[in-house]
This record gives sequence, C-alpha cells and structure tokens, in this order.
Amino acid sequence: MTETLFEKIWNSHIVVEKENEPSLIYIDRHLVHEVTSPQAFDGLRVNHRKVRRPELTVATIDHNVPTTDRSLPMIDETSSTQIKTLEKNCKDFGIKLFGINDPNQGIVHVIGPQLGITLPGSTIVCGDSHTSTQGAFGAFAFGIGTSEVEHTLATQTLWLEKPKTFEILATGKRKNPFAVTSKDIILSIIKKIGTNGGTGHVLEYRGDAISDLSMEQRMTICNMSIEAGSRAGLIAPDEKTFDYINNREYTPKNYDDLVEDWKNNLMSDSNSKFDKRFTIDVEKIEPQVSWGTNPAMVSDVTDKIPTPEEFGQNNEIQIESAKKALAYMDLEPETLITEIPIDRVFIGSCTNARLEDLIDAATIVKGKVINSNVSAMVVPGSQMVKHEAEKLGLDKIFKDANFEWRESGCSMCLGMNPDILKPGERCASTSNRNFEGRQGSGGQTHLVSPVMAAAAAIAGHFVDVRDWS
Amino acid sequence: MIGNVIKYEQDNIDTDVIIPGTYLKIHDYNELATHAMEGLDPDFPSKVKDGDFIVAGKNFGCGSSREHAPIALSTCGIKAVIATSFARIFYRNSVDGAFLLPIEIDDETYQKISNSDQLEINIENNEIKNITKNETYSMKPFSEIIAKIISAGGIFKYKK
Repeated sequence: MTETLFEKIWNSHIVVEKENEPSLIYIDRHLVHEVTSPQAFDGLRVNHRKVRRPELTVATIDHNVPTTDRSLPMIDETSSTQIKTLEKNCKDFGIKLFGINDPNQGIVHVIGPQLGITLPGSTIVCGDSHTSTQGAFGAFAFGIGTSEVEHTLATQTLWLEKPKTFEILATGKRKNPFAVTSKDIILSIIKKIGTNGGTGHVLEYRGDAISDLSMEQRMTICNMSIEAGSRAGLIAPDEKTFDYINNREYTPKNYDDLVEDWKNNLMSDSNSKFDKRFTIDVEKIEPQVSWGTNPAMVSDVTDKIPTPEEFGQNNEIQIESAKKALAYMDLEPETLITEIPIDRVFIGSCTNARLEDLIDAATIVKGKVINSNVSAMVVPGSQMVKHEAEKLGLDKIFKDANFEWRESGCSMCLGMNPDILKPGERCASTSNRNFEGRQGSGGQTHLVSPVMAAAAAIAGHFVDVRDWS
Repeated sequence: MIGNVIKYEQDNIDTDVIIPGTYLKIHDYNELATHAMEGLDPDFPSKVKDGDFIVAGKNFGCGSSREHAPIALSTCGIKAVIATSFARIFYRNSVDGAFLLPIEIDDETYQKISNSDQLEINIENNEIKNITKNETYSMKPFSEIIAKIISAGGIFKYKK
C-alpha cells in the first residue's frame, strides 16, 4: 500500500490507535514561548504533575520582547511579568530557555531550524499557529492551544484526529527568481484555494518549483500554510535539507545515520493517494500585494484592487466581506496597486526575517534612502540572524538608508510589544496576517515579500520590483 | 441549553479581532473578557449576557492558536459559537478546555437565524430549536471523539 510522507510520519508516531477514537501521537519536540504557556504550567502545578520529557522541550521569549535596547528596563509591566513567569517556569520544570539576552534568542520558528532542533520525520508542536513553518524540513509541525501545551508537557503526547492529505503541486520555473519569491508563491496559492481551502488537511508541497527553493524560502511557504486553514505544511527533505541541518549547535551526533534513514523513508510513495490536489504554475506568478483583511485578498502588483463584485463572484457574503475590508483599509476599488502610498515598512516575522530575506531586501536598499514619508524597520528573526547579517554589513546598508535596525522578536507582526501601527497608518509588511487590527488597532497591513517591502520603502508606494534598478 | 443570539454576518472572524494581540499578556480571565471581540464589536462585553450564543459564517476563529480567544468569549458568558465552519485550532481549543461548544450548521440554517433570536440547543439529538421563530434546525453532529471530550469536560478529564 502506498503512503504519503505525512502518513509515514503519522504512522511512526502512533502510541495508541483504536477505531473511532483519536490516536495518541508521540511528540518529538515541544517548543514553548511566553504567551501561550503560563496557564499550562499553572495547570501542571495545580495537578502536581511534572514535565514528562524536559530534555525534548525548549523555550524562548519572542512575542512581547522589546526590539529596542535590551539593556534598558522594560516599561511594559505585564510583558515583563509574562517573561519573568516563563523564566521561573523553565527553572522550576528543568526546561532549556533561550532567554532575552541569550545569543540564541529569537522567534521560536526561526531558532528551531537554526539550532538543528527541527528534524525531518519528527513531530513538533508549539503553542503557536506558525509552527507549520518547520514542516519545510519534512516534519509534522503544528500549532496547538494552551490546553494541548499542558497535555504535551505532562505526557509528551497528544490525542489527535488524523488529518487528511492535500497535494500542492508547484510546476514550472519562476521567471525572475529574485523578484518573484516564495512569499509570492504561497500568497498565490492562498488566493486560489482560500483561507479555509486547507481546513482539516496537511498540505504537502511538491514539484520542481518547490525543490528549486532554498530551505529558508521553503520555510516561508510552510509558514503560511495555516493561513489557508490547514493543519500543517510539509515538504519532503532532500540534500538541501540535510545540508542545512548539518553542524548546527543541537544537530544530533548520529547525523550521518539519520540522513541515511531520512533519505530512505521520508518521501511520499509514487502514486500516493492524496485526498485533495491543487496544481499551480509558478511561471505565471507575479509579485503579490494584499489589499484586504485576510491573506486570500491579494492581487498581482500590476493589477488593480478588484471591485467587491469581481472579488465575490456572486457570493453575497464574499462581496460584503470585500466591501468591509476595503472600508477598513480605506481603499477604493480599481485603484492601481502601484498607486497605493505607504507610511510604514516592517521587514520581520517568522515568515520573512531570516538571513536570505535580509540579504535580498538589502540588495534593493543598497545606496538608496527611504522615502521621506515612510518610516521603516528591520527586525531580524533571531539574534543569530542579526549577528550574521551584521557580519555581512547589512545593518549598515539598512541604517544608511534610514531603516531602523532592531533586536530580534515577533515585533510588529502581531503588535504585542511597543512596535505597532497607529490608527490609519498603512504598512508594507513581510509578515503573515493582514487581519483588522493585527499590527495595531486601526492599522492597515499589506502583505508582501521582503524585496517588495524594501522597494516600497524607497519609493513611498508599491512598485513592481521586477522593474527595480 | 437556552440562550439568545448575537449574530455577525461575516466569514473569517479571526482570533485577532476576537482578542487582539496586545491583550495576550493578561493572565486574569475576567480582565481578558473585558476585551472580547474588541476588534470587531467593542460593545460586545457590555451587551453579552450569560448563556448567549454567537452565530457567524465560515472559518470562525481563523488565525492564531491563542486559547485566549475561546476563553475570552466563554468568560463573557458565551456558551456556544454556531458557525457554518470553524478554523481547526479554535475548534480544538474550545473543546479541549471545555470552554464553549463549537457547533456547525449549514448555510440555510445560518440564513434563518437572526440576531436576538432565542435558541435551544440540544446536542443529544443534534437539534437547534428557534424559540422566537418556532423553527427547528439540525446541526452537524460532533464526531465521536469530540463528543467524548465534550462530555468528559475537556481533554484532561477525557481518558482519565
């Protein structure tokens, strides 16, 4: 019987399986951050439970850390309390914490892969929906809520209903691989399959256009799988994956044996049956810009904002949602995307704040200065990314162009720390969600790739980065 | 279970409007509840009554994994969210902590239910009775697994 990659990973992690019951699935790695864990640790204490496998659990602080000078005391008391709570919880329960001043601190989904903690074929959970990022390594990685965080801490397992499988086949070659990025591929996919197109499914991205991508680009794709409602995103590991994992701080000592095993086992069998399939030709993809308030409300940069009727295509609810989105975004239908002026630029988040993202953005920025109406910031995904970028002199390129160069964290992706939009401010953002108020109450978010965000910062409005010189 | 409907006629009500990110630092559930639905309907905490139901369209609760979302609604008194579909993590979070019932209905039923209608939900026979309109609708039955977790009162009580 043929099996998909997901089914192989699932089957190798079943602890208990009975008909008409959820399966008890073993969890190989549990990543923890300050926001979704406090009640889980409280629950352990109340019930006198210990953490079952502290050595498989790793914590960091990313969501509400300030991205400004960290030698200064934190002004926000509730954030400070939440951070101190995680520090105490990790100490009490024997969990490794990459704390606020640790050289390995960073966004949880950036540091997992960077440290060699994220491994092919494994099951990975975190109380964070963008855990799907790590599926780029051929891991079943998915977000959970706080009750499940507590369950994982206590048992290293979870009761799960088996998701269905969904093949996303990406064919062809990007016409301009610098300007048309993996962010544009995933936004194009979500535009087509919708924000709930993947509900109940694990997406497996396959095809030459996926193999063609670097590991960091693959992470951007898997990261946004959740924006299509899916349980997780998955890419079969290959030589690029194995090379990425080699010689990292926590790469297992039996790496060579593991690679043999991964090579032999971690792929969907030929003729595997997927529950659903979708094919996209990447040759036709242009740089994408979101204009609405969910990640399916996206247009080509050369296009106009659609009318609600064009967008909704006879679906009353969709037409109404487009009207509401345009009102919130303060945009008129049929405006050219390239005529939308912007106030802020955010290059950051678990979607697009890894080293390659910053290198690409810096290529656009080098020797130029941002538009006088724009304020822009770069928030590296981790301290390690920041350090490597500084070794390449990227910080200087950004600062010379009047970008702010910040410390690592989730920052303006979700507006939990002081990095927020003011009401009515319009932002070109490399993050993952353009929901109402996501980056600050009344803030207007346009999702774009790092090169598109960088070019918009210089021009003061969106530009087709394929024409950039 | 009897309650009144607060209806939002839209799809994709995301966790960022249910409880904006800035409030995820709050540890106290009662304080959290004062910000429930703030991104969509700032009057929600003042108008919601204990026992009420939210009715909405597709993909309710999409976005973040924050369990704060069902917690905030439940602490306000919401006993069920009735929607044409749910985002998976929100659905699971609602059930895991036994915060509220995520009930799926079809489009036709969704159209028939109006704001302020009084409903009686009967999960034993998968029925929703609209007391105001004297109509009866069917709801999508919970899967066996979910039904077991709900009747146990959450994931920790299940299989204990």
